[in-house]
Amino acid sequence: MATEFSRGQKSPLSNLTPGTDLYIGVKIDGPGSWDISCFGLDEADKLSDDDYFIFFNQPKSPEESIQLLGAQSGDTESFRLTLDKVPDKIRKLSICAASEDATAGQITSGWFRIVVGGEEVAKFSFSGSDFAAERAVIIGDVYMKSVWRVAAVGQGFAGGLADLIRSYGGEVADDEPAPPPANTGFAPPPGGPAPAPPNTGFAPPPGGPAPAPPPQPAPPFGAPPGGPAPAPPQQAPPMPAPAAGGAVDLTKVPAGGYSDTPTQYQPTPPGAMNSLEQYKEKPTTGRYTQQSSKMIKVTLGAEVLTRKGSMVAYQGNIEFDHKGSGGLKKMLENKMTGQGLSMMICKGEGEVFLAEDATDLHIVELNGRTININANNILCMDATLSVETKRMESAGLPGGGFFHIEVTGQGTVVVMTHGTPMTIPVAGPTSTDVNATVAWSAGMRVSVSNQVRVQRNLYAGQSAEAGCLDFMGMGESFVVVQPYEV
Amino acid sequence: MDGFLMQQYQATPIGDRMSNHGSKMAKIIMQPGVDVMAKAGAMVAYKGLIDFNPNPPSMSGIIKSFATGEGVQLMQATGQGELYVADYGKEVVVMQLSNEALSVNGPNILAFENTLQWGIERVKDVKMAFSGMGMFNVVLRGQGWVALTSRGTPAVLDTREAPTFVDTDALVAFTEGLQITPRRTAKFSSLIPGRGSGEAFQLGFQGQGFVVVQPAEDASSKFSVRG
Repeated sequence: MATEFSRGQKSPLSNLTPGTDLYIGVKIDGPGSWDISCFGLDEADKLSDDDYFIFFNQPKSPEESIQLLGAQSGDTESFRLTLDKVPDKIRKLSICAASEDATAGQITSGWFRIVVGGEEVAKFSFSGSDFAAERAVIIGDVYMKSVWRVAAVGQGFAGGLADLIRSYGGEVADDEPAPPPANTGFAPPPGGPAPAPPNTGFAPPPGGPAPAPPPQPAPPFGAPPGGPAPAPPQQAPPMPAPAAGGAVDLTKVPAGGYSDTPTQYQPTPPGAMNSLEQYKEKPTTGRYTQQSSKMIKVTLGAEVLTRKGSMVAYQGNIEFDHKGSGGLKKMLENKMTGQGLSMMICKGEGEVFLAEDATDLHIVELNGRTININANNILCMDATLSVETKRMESAGLPGGGFFHIEVTGQGTVVVMTHGTPMTIPVAGPTSTDVNATVAWSAGMRVSVSNQVRVQRNLYAGQSAEAGCLDFMGMGESFVVVQPYEV
Repeated sequence: MDGFLMQQYQATPIGDRMSNHGSKMAKIIMQPGVDVMAKAGAMVAYKGLIDFNPNPPSMSGIIKSFATGEGVQLMQATGQGELYVADYGKEVVVMQLSNEALSVNGPNILAFENTLQWGIERVKDVKMAFSGMGMFNVVLRGQGWVALTSRGTPAVLDTREAPTFVDTDALVAFTEGLQITPRRTAKFSSLIPGRGSGEAFQLGFQGQGFVVVQPAEDASSKFSVRG
């Protein structure tokens, strides 16, 4: 039987349940969209560690004691709080909701409930009549005061998320006036993320139609203007004297002269990590994570087949083994043509970083479809996929044949291309250069032809052109080419 | 045409002593007293009065050993002005060391300020099968700017969380002082031609710091024989 909480009511958690692994569900019905987040606060009710601001961009805390689970079972948003794992410095977990396009007074109904072991143990229902024109609301707290306790709060903040953050951090508000006037035109270094509104690190633009805060990767809470830009202006140390001289001169440069470059000099703080921040390991977003356009992080559990020698680094206990592919005859063929795909198996527990020759990598989810891939363009794939090596023969092809791989099943394959590839829908007859062809969809008629008649040897053993692949298909058929001929 | 040339790609405004111009070029503000060591032949342009000395006498010893050990030659740039350096379209990573020590794979060095203490050092803990073989890195210590190159966007891996194993061909740099343990993943079956996994040997890094890897494995070996 769930205990009904009223606004302001508090209770030790042990009175409700002996469990400490809580499911927190929040439902908000009403116009507009609400972002629900969890703040992990320290003794002074301050958000001292950015890692404990759990929201859609940072769905869990480092030790995973707080996890954002998403909408489920009638809840708009849900969390899992594993209180035993919450570090000692975090004394309060505050569940808050914020919206930019609605006010709390418009909420038709809502609840905050705690479920343990599939059973609802506490519920705090609220509606718009409890609030007025606030745009952010603290709904409930789970906090430590000698024992874990629960409070139904229901406190609104007229200023929205920014106000809420100020009440928790203070740094945002305090630091605001601090930057010297020279910094008002702050522009992030080239290549940095889009500048955030200067008043908060991550609050959405006021009145903006976007339902969610700007999609910056895990913006540091209370960050200075510019979000994750590596140079916090308030903390920047005095710049080296000669550089400072340059900065002064710079203010005289007409702004129009540099259309795309920052006109304000922003010193990079010393320390290697400040410059390397942008290259840091990306948070894992699934089995395959795009670390950069040229590197893939694979989180192992099930085995992965990868091109031999493509591993650049790994963390964990991982083994690499030769993958045999079809006996002696195939091996000989591979040797003869140099086209065969040499794979190895990665197995174990951990994360492997894969890359090959600085090529661009593309994660392709097959979802049961079939795709043909040039053997030279496969980086890795799930070992569960069914794979068939095929060979097209023609006198016009280098080595007399062209290997490709037909991949089918449920899983992922990572395709590599030299340069940005182009996908051509095959509506009419389409021809591609064999060497530039990366992949094509199944169910097309493919034939080899020699479009170019003149054949001459530019260099010994190298012909000036190779064969073409002619595709005939309809519907959703496509062929992918890369701007590079191997 | 005018706009294309003059505005979009105009020199970036003066800022840090070393900075990126695009992702593949480093811009260095030269001033008297702070000389810059740069990879020989890396200069693409300069403004002002800058002298290049390919073999400064004071360093010939070191450079010779560098040349034999790593196959990379450095030149010393002296003067005042702006110097632009690049290395065959590789990505350039510029950083400022602040009493830190960085061990860099020789071919990945583009330029660094002479205010840093530097030297060629054998990477400890890496013992190869034969004596006289080893891995030699350029170690930079102290305060100053460094520009490194990487084939493709590099990745920086934290070695605090877990031991990080790196293919030596993809290794760019690492924090000096990390615990290094070689690991062999080659098996007996690898001795059969065509049966190896292609990954025979990695270096494990652990400790307070980071390791930088590039998404390509340079063909040139980092292990060299020294007499």
